[in-house]
Amino acid sequence: MANVELSNINKTFGAIETIPDLTLSVPDGSFTVLVGPSGCGKSTLLRMVAGLEAPSRGKISIGGRDVTREEPSKRGISMVFQSYALFPHMTVEQNIDFGLRLSKTPTKERQKRVDAAAEILHLQPLLKRKPAALSGGQRQRVAIGRSIVRNPDVFLFDEPLSNLDAALRNQMRVELADLHERLKSTMIYVTHDQVEAMTLADQIVVMNAGRIEQVGAPMELYNRPQTLFVAGFIGSPRMNLITGEAAAKLGATTIGVRPEHIELGAHGLWKGRLRVAEHLGNETIAYIDSELGELIVRINGDQKMKTGEVLQFQFLQEHLHRFDESGRRIP
Amino acid sequence: MSNAASIRASKSNSILADLMSSKGQAVLLMLPPAFLLFTLFVALPLFDAAYYSLFKWNGYGTPTDFVGLDNFRQVLNHGIFWQSVRNTLIVLAVSLFIQLPLALGLALMVYEKTPANTLFRLVFFLPYILAEIASGLIWSFVFDGNAGVASALFKSLGMNPVFILADRHWAFLAITLVVLWKYFGFHMMIFVAALQSVPKELLEAARLEGAKRWEVVRFVQVPLIGAAIGVSAFFAVVGSLQLFDVVIPLTNGGPSNSTHTIVTYLYTFGLTRTRIGFGSAVGVLLFIAAVGVSIFYQRQTNRGSK
Ligand SMILES: Nc1ncnc2c1ncn2[C@@H]1O[C@H](COP(=O)(O)OP(=O)(O)OP(=O)(O)O)[C@@H](O)[C@H]1O
Ligand SMILES: [Mg+2]
Repeated sequence: MANVELSNINKTFGAIETIPDLTLSVPDGSFTVLVGPSGCGKSTLLRMVAGLEAPSRGKISIGGRDVTREEPSKRGISMVFQSYALFPHMTVEQNIDFGLRLSKTPTKERQKRVDAAAEILHLQPLLKRKPAALSGGQRQRVAIGRSIVRNPDVFLFDEPLSNLDAALRNQMRVELADLHERLKSTMIYVTHDQVEAMTLADQIVVMNAGRIEQVGAPMELYNRPQTLFVAGFIGSPRMNLITGEAAAKLGATTIGVRPEHIELGAHGLWKGRLRVAEHLGNETIAYIDSELGELIVRINGDQKMKTGEVLQFQFLQEHLHRFDESGRRIP
Repeated sequence: MSNAASIRASKSNSILADLMSSKGQAVLLMLPPAFLLFTLFVALPLFDAAYYSLFKWNGYGTPTDFVGLDNFRQVLNHGIFWQSVRNTLIVLAVSLFIQLPLALGLALMVYEKTPANTLFRLVFFLPYILAEIASGLIWSFVFDGNAGVASALFKSLGMNPVFILADRHWAFLAITLVVLWKYFGFHMMIFVAALQSVPKELLEAARLEGAKRWEVVRFVQVPLIGAAIGVSAFFAVVGSLQLFDVVIPLTNGGPSNSTHTIVTYLYTFGLTRTRIGFGSAVGVLLFIAAVGVSIFYQRQTNRGSK
């Protein structure tokens, strides 16, 4: 059990400053999810916590211990890679107990831990197989098993589910939530997937170009995004962002409204023409070319609509988000 | 029922059908050139050599003086032949047990892609690019007892200069050294390519698990480049069996025939003395050894892939 503190971290590759100055606190036992666009430095941050990359400046401590210059294996962490990074020439069992064998853990103890991990992850029938003979989901479970047996204080995951298909991803997501529930260890998790971020996280960290935009609970980010970037990044389909006169009237440079907070109806203030409607069964997503620009509207249930049809709509005032010219939220 | 019958019928026709299919036609079309080339340039010369080895023949006219296995008997009773076999085995052992580990060690030091490493790789690879004859000449200057670097070294140690290549005890050692120098870069490059193809995450994962540098090498890198090590060893063995062009400019098999390899033996006692039948017999023996090695290698790799 350990919290992770990053203080004034800077990471510079050659002449490129990937992370200028970052401070982040990951509470003990939390499930913290890092999200952000590709290349914003999520993996780099995770690798610095792991010790695979050294920060150019700043301090990293885990469980109150300064580990900035510590070997990866002495930090009490374990990491699951996107590519799983299983050793292809070893069996599942050898993959899982590789670290224990290196540290000369007694056979009995090793066996006990492997069995426990295999039990949790349903790996018993696969222990004698090589990774090549496993499915993607099974490989991912082995990679997680390898990280469990070392009893780390902190688990690091770098997009662990992104190589899996949608159904398997859902299943593994639930299993990861269970795992966190059971082990109660600190977990830091990098993902591109909105659903993973919203459902797994106690705390989401939104990053952009090496900086932290906002840290908070999922619903807090969803309901009160502090910056324009977070407003546009969290939520799918994305929040509608409107500039110009309509925003100026409300004393803002930009106003944001989520697709589910636009109401269609005969009494609407604004007009638009339906470009495309996507029927998902439980909801309908309408793309509208309106006088305010292109807007996305989400309607519950299946609504019959015709392309080219003129629609009237209005915003639910209490759900409007206002942002100033620097992209900061106006309270 | 009729379905099953038709399936059975089509099966019995399947070989013919295969040949008539477009794939079969492609095979019929592509096979003859390759088969012809193989026959002309591999199979026929081999059979020729095997045939000539049964004659006492100087290479002029048609062989008529049939002597059965007498050439083989002569070869196997010749002390210098056995000396050359011993020398070949020494080169082979040095290649496998000194050169390959050395090449692997160097490859581990320079396989990562940095500008400095690129330079090192080039430098280490240079001896291999150099023509064999040229390397032989260069080293014969180095080993020269009057003016060479080696003699300067001996002098600076206060010893009498030694004509290394003219010394029965030292000459073959010197040749072995040149072979080592010349070919380690080749093996290093094979290992470099293989090491670069090992995913970096595997090394990082091993490090996270607490593996020290040498443990990463021992438990991850070496097992994962096993196939390349096999190829390298195969080349080393075949190369040793065929070693020739480094020896000729250095010692030409001397002093007193102590530094022959199997091929320089064949060349000296078969070709230059126009005893083609005798030389062919040596060639056949060498060929059998090479085939033996190939079969052993194939066995090993097939077993490994299972
Ligand atoms: N070893 C390196 N050398 C130079 N630049 C690097 C190195 N590693 C990462 N970078 C740069 O740092 C930036 C952040 O990379 P990083 O891998 O952390 O992004 P990311 O947020 O994980 O992106 P993704 O979501 O695509 O995985 C990128 O611009 C990348 O090019
Ligand atoms: Mg990444």
